Amino acid sequence: MAARETVKSACKNVRPLVSADFCEARRRALGLYRAIYRYIPYIVKHFDIPKSEEDCRWKLREYFYRNACVTDIRVIDMLVIKGYMELKEMKHMWQQKGHVMAHWNPTLEPKPYDFIGKFLEGID
Amino acid sequence: MLRQPLSRALALTSPVRAAPLTARRFADQVQAQPEKVEVFIDDQPVHVVPGTTVLQAAAQVGVEIPRFCYHERLAVAGNCRMCLVEVEKSPKPVAACAMPVMKGMRVKTNSDLTRKAREGVMEFLLVNHPLDCPICDQGGECDLQDQSMAFGSDKSRFTDIHFSGKRAVEDKDVGPLIKTIMTRCIHCTRCIRFASEVAGVDDFGTTGRGTDMQVGTYVEKMFLSELSGNIIDLCPVGALTSKPYSFAARPWETRRVDSVDVLDPLGSNIVVATRTNEVLRILPRTNEEINEEWLADKSRFACDGLKRQRLVSPMLVDSRGNLTPVDWEDAIVATARALRDCPPDKLLAVAGDLADAESLVALKDLVNKLGSENTCTEQYFPLEGAGIDLRSSYLLNTKIANVEDADFVLLIGTNVRFEAPLLNARIRKSFIHKETDVALVGPKVDLTYEYMHAGDSASIVKDLATGTSSHAVARRLEQAKRPVVILGAEQLRGPEGAALLAYTQQLALKLHDKLADKSWKVLNVLQRTASQVAALDIGYKPGVGGALQGGPRVVYLLGADSGVVTREALPKDAFVIYQGHHGDVGAQIADVVLPGAAYTEKRATYVNAEGRAQQTLLAVSPPGKARDDWKIIRALSEVVGERLPYDNLDEVRARMSEISPALVAYGDVQDNNYFAQATALAQSLQKSLSGKLDVKLKQLEDYFMTDPISRASPTMAKCIQAVIKQKQSPY
Repeated sequence: MAARETVKSACKNVRPLVSADFCEARRRALGLYRAIYRYIPYIVKHFDIPKSEEDCRWKLREYFYRNACVTDIRVIDMLVIKGYMELKEMKHMWQQKGHVMAHWNPTLEPKPYDFIGKFLEGID
Repeated sequence: MLRQPLSRALALTSPVRAAPLTARRFADQVQAQPEKVEVFIDDQPVHVVPGTTVLQAAAQVGVEIPRFCYHERLAVAGNCRMCLVEVEKSPKPVAACAMPVMKGMRVKTNSDLTRKAREGVMEFLLVNHPLDCPICDQGGECDLQDQSMAFGSDKSRFTDIHFSGKRAVEDKDVGPLIKTIMTRCIHCTRCIRFASEVAGVDDFGTTGRGTDMQVGTYVEKMFLSELSGNIIDLCPVGALTSKPYSFAARPWETRRVDSVDVLDPLGSNIVVATRTNEVLRILPRTNEEINEEWLADKSRFACDGLKRQRLVSPMLVDSRGNLTPVDWEDAIVATARALRDCPPDKLLAVAGDLADAESLVALKDLVNKLGSENTCTEQYFPLEGAGIDLRSSYLLNTKIANVEDADFVLLIGTNVRFEAPLLNARIRKSFIHKETDVALVGPKVDLTYEYMHAGDSASIVKDLATGTSSHAVARRLEQAKRPVVILGAEQLRGPEGAALLAYTQQLALKLHDKLADKSWKVLNVLQRTASQVAALDIGYKPGVGGALQGGPRVVYLLGADSGVVTREALPKDAFVIYQGHHGDVGAQIADVVLPGAAYTEKRATYVNAEGRAQQTLLAVSPPGKARDDWKIIRALSEVVGERLPYDNLDEVRARMSEISPALVAYGDVQDNNYFAQATALAQSLQKSLSGKLDVKLKQLEDYFMTDPISRASPTMAKCIQAVIKQKQSPY
């Protein structure tokens, strides 16, 4: 009896979030990519950011490649949902210029790695 | 002292108070070991040499007997009675520190009688000791506190039935370094014994008997010694504490970092106590080869100079000729431009007294890459003959610890007492305990022991070397089995320096040829500064005289504060770069100031007068925008366009070991040779000597301020004032 319970729990399929299999999840991800890609000209226009469409497309590409290694369907679904949320926030102007620019970390100063940089900063 | 590590007590094998160094034995010194006797300490058998005291025998099996008056490096007094132990078949307990062992003796260090005796002693001591531990500077490192916790009784029978108060004693004034609270004194007499045996200033003593006994200087008098600070460490209670450190911190609040002293050429081992990024005090660290457990006053008390007169920001001379603080970037770019625009033969680098080996290597590499060979040190050394090619001609070859074994010491033109106080303490130790004789050629100074004064003219050295002298010193040198000749490097400055060195080398070689034991080294040159040996090892030319003749356009001063490079000596348009940690002589004449780190603020290598490489460790971080010295030069090299090939300390040290492996063999000292070859090369330099030998540091007041750190120290200034005042007093 106990053994059957163990087998049952081990074989139990997790409840899917949205997608039933990997192909479906991939289709949703591509859908998100397309949606954002098509909205990029309006982002540049409405938010008046010092970035070109090209820059924005690279940033989009960067985000997708950052999660390229994710294989868990439920995680992919969740990321896609969050992506649509982000897009909606931008479409409705709930986000402002600063929020959009934050993707490029404009205030972050790169840490020096060479000797002279570290010397001037006073880091050992 | 209970806090001393047991290992040292264990190393004591012979009953004499010689330093417990087994490595230091010369051929004719090995004596037949007397038969050992067996004694029992708490029923553990131990075999010891006859004459060993019970306390030392107990230390050998790891039993530490409490004591107040006993100290390994001082004579036995036996007056505190804390070390009473029971010995079987003895009617009364005996004082372990003074009782020699006897065959078959059975000692009980933890019996009822012993414990009762200790409790009794402790009770009497506490009856006469104030209960001011909360305001006492010794709190936390007090032997009386520790031992009363460990061995004292849990109750006292002391009641002040007449309300007359406890015994109280008036405080003494013994100078600006030592604070006395004599009510706390338990009359262990350690300070008295130290003053008369080690320091050689017989001012301390006791007056009165019983309750009226007092330790003091009889008349109010300053303790005129360069080793006075050590009685603070020796005092087991809070009767003698440090005046500059009073009420500053508790020992458990401080962080202790092992380091090396750089204010004299010996490189004494120290512990730097810090808190909140501030050096609070400096204590000695035991190193039998160098400083035993003592420390000279300048090394100990000049640490407040590390907080004053510091260079905290790079500075650049502005259009009106004033130095103004700038960013590192501007300073480096201005410096690099000057270096790049300078013709190679007009570039001069001068290393000062406190420069570490890392920055010396980096600076020499940079200057060489720029095409110049002009790297010099401030201290002079003759380059004729073998010059600095043979390491043995500029080192203290006998080594500091071995000076104890000498039977005749000849000092030539050096006041060891102030140039290297702990070397003088060694000579004094062998003078007192081993009948070593000392002779001095040079001005008559107080060395704290008797010596034969051979006169102060340099020709005496020539007479001794050529064997034409009929002086008593010559006869004693002839008979000596282990002679030591110490030449002060200060004398080599003049035009006759080379000849003086040549004659001294010849004298030493002549003495060495007669020795039965050829491993004994005779010739010693006592350098004046902590950086000189490392600089000569690396290949710096000693002395700036010749280089200044060439009219340098750019001068790089690496902590050069002795004042040998002056504006007057330089061409009008010369550009002076100063890198260092104190706003002293060098920074005053500079066009660019690059703030570096002092010896407590960097991990750096220093080579002492013996040729022993040692490293300081980072105790506090450099103030303001100051940076590690070698890093400044490394950064500069990149901007100049001649990048130095090292980015971190390990790589710098790898480079140092390429130049000389001795620079990174920490704690080690190599034996030096080629004395005969050096003498042969110097043969042609033996000209007539006519000058007089004179030393800079003659009196105690000359001793306290010799370098940028001690010149910035208010404590040292107070010392000089106090010494001068004391000299005017009738006592």
